[in-house]
Amino acid sequence: MNIFQRIIVEPFEKCYEKLLYFLPNFFTSILLLIAGVVLAVIIRAIFQKFFKTIKLDRFSERSGIVEALSKSGIKDPLSVLISKIIEWIIMLTFLVVAMQNLRIPTVEHLLDRFFLYVPNMFIAAFILIIGYLLSNFFRRAVLIASVNAGIKYSGLLSKFVKFTVFILSCTMALEQLGIGKDTVIIAFAITFGGVILALAIACGLGGKDIAREYLEKKMKEDNKEDGIGHL
Amino acid sequence: MDDNTMNNPIKQQTMEIGEADILVGIPSYNNARTIGHVVKAVQAGLAKYFRDKKALLINSDGGSTDGTTEIVHKTTVDDLATIFVTQKTEPFFKIVTPYQGIPGKGSAFRAIFEIAATVKAKACAVVDSDLRSITPEWVELLIKPVLEGGFDYVAPLYQRHKYDGTITNSIIYPLTSALYGKRIRQPIGGDFGFSGRLAGFYLSKDVWETDVARYGIDIWMTTTAIANNFPVCQSYLGAKIHDAKDPGADLSAMLYQVVSAAFDLMETYSAAWQSVQSSEPVPTLGFQYDVGLEPISVNLERMIDRFSLGIKELGIFWKEFMPKELYGFFTKLTGSRKKTFRIPDEIWVETIYSFILAAHKRIMNREHLLKSLTPLYIGRTASFVMETWDSDSRSVEDKIENLRLMFEKKKDFLIKRWDE
Repeated sequence: MNIFQRIIVEPFEKCYEKLLYFLPNFFTSILLLIAGVVLAVIIRAIFQKFFKTIKLDRFSERSGIVEALSKSGIKDPLSVLISKIIEWIIMLTFLVVAMQNLRIPTVEHLLDRFFLYVPNMFIAAFILIIGYLLSNFFRRAVLIASVNAGIKYSGLLSKFVKFTVFILSCTMALEQLGIGKDTVIIAFAITFGGVILALAIACGLGGKDIAREYLEKKMKEDNKEDGIGHL
Repeated sequence: MDDNTMNNPIKQQTMEIGEADILVGIPSYNNARTIGHVVKAVQAGLAKYFRDKKALLINSDGGSTDGTTEIVHKTTVDDLATIFVTQKTEPFFKIVTPYQGIPGKGSAFRAIFEIAATVKAKACAVVDSDLRSITPEWVELLIKPVLEGGFDYVAPLYQRHKYDGTITNSIIYPLTSALYGKRIRQPIGGDFGFSGRLAGFYLSKDVWETDVARYGIDIWMTTTAIANNFPVCQSYLGAKIHDAKDPGADLSAMLYQVVSAAFDLMETYSAAWQSVQSSEPVPTLGFQYDVGLEPISVNLERMIDRFSLGIKELGIFWKEFMPKELYGFFTKLTGSRKKTFRIPDEIWVETIYSFILAAHKRIMNREHLLKSLTPLYIGRTASFVMETWDSDSRSVEDKIENLRLMFEKKKDFLIKRWDE
């Protein structure tokens, strides 16, 4: 009887006690999840209306964000996209709270680590967005300046500037995420240095005649400078 | 808050001078080659035409390193008899001062306005330091309409080579006339006369950290005077021959600063220009005569190449705000040969109005937008040169007047879309 009690009944009783302890948490978590989903949907709708009022989509069209998004396969307008992100953040927050409410040590430990990593993800995303916008801005600035200076390969030059700025921001984002910290920096330095070296060698050896002809032509052109007084 | 940018020695000097009747300002930056002649002409003009007026000459310098300021200090008209003057009854003073603020002509003018306000000058004039054709009569023609004619602003009227002042001819003159209703032929001429009252009004405006501090100052002075109903006139000064305008200056930066200042003024005075229906001539003073002008060389092929490069690379930006037909016209034009390359007045006016609307609606970064106008401006200039290659100056003037009429005719296009 004693053995039966210890081997069969007591574990069952303990299990029952644990279940009794766990079930209220479980139901609370489910309630939290449902509340989170409802709240997220409501807040998404509010934000969508707000963005419409401040004409965010018009701004995004003008600033080239829509073009950038559609290139990466996102067809939603920026107002819908940001509202959806806010909705998901709210749902995710409630999911995390619900899971913590279950009080399972392993889950709690994993959540702690996840939460410590989340800021890095946001910073990396921020760096990428800023990097993308800056790369477009510099591309346009270089393109206009080089066209006005009469440089024939303005398009190529501006694309190179855009690519360089964006790659630099990707490197910074990856460094922020802690992915291959040194490897990424070294790879970037080697690639960038390599491109410059290749260009230098190409100009110095392969294209020296072209460079000379170009400079000679430029010098002759300068001699033929217009006498037009613009102001 | 004391916004005065004058340094202490200059304050001291102006206090010692006290009040002055006339002030003539000369902004400069590395103009050692020409400024001596300008100072002499001004001094002779003051001695000859304003003997009984207390006069002050200000050289507002941007940190010249070629001895410009030393030349100003040293230069004087030694022999007044050569200009038929025995003696000047009222004293003549000279101040050489470096200006503060953003490097540019506008900041130099600000220093001149400040001194004008301090010495309570009744009439002022500013003349460029790179002038080679200035005579003592310019001082009379710029100052007298203020002192005796009741005008607050005197714009210059020059005889210029048909290809000199192309930003003025193709954009600023016709646009300003159409917008504000006063036909001032040289709104960005660089040499102006104005009253002490107007100098004080200019000084009260908070624009000295904008493009007005650079090349935008001329259009700002003219437009501010017209839009605020100060009595304006223009004086015929003869030929304008000057050193090449800052050889290192980038055309797109120059165009950007002038056009940007004009567009900014449209925002400031939108109510004023929208109510103007047509333009009228302003009183023109001075005896008009023909003068021989130095020939100007033009490299048309390179201009057309620049235009075509612009269409190929920058068309993607223009497409966003230009009417489809207009954009289509430009893309077709890239294949044109030199003989058939033409940008008609109507197309040009629509182009300028499209850029104005794009800047007003902030379609893209303002500096990028306005600098991207450069290839189109070069294209229009090339077209103008080809159209007027064999024309005399009178026919060229008629052509510029036709352009002004087109700006006026199409003004509704602008007004309708302005508040959309």
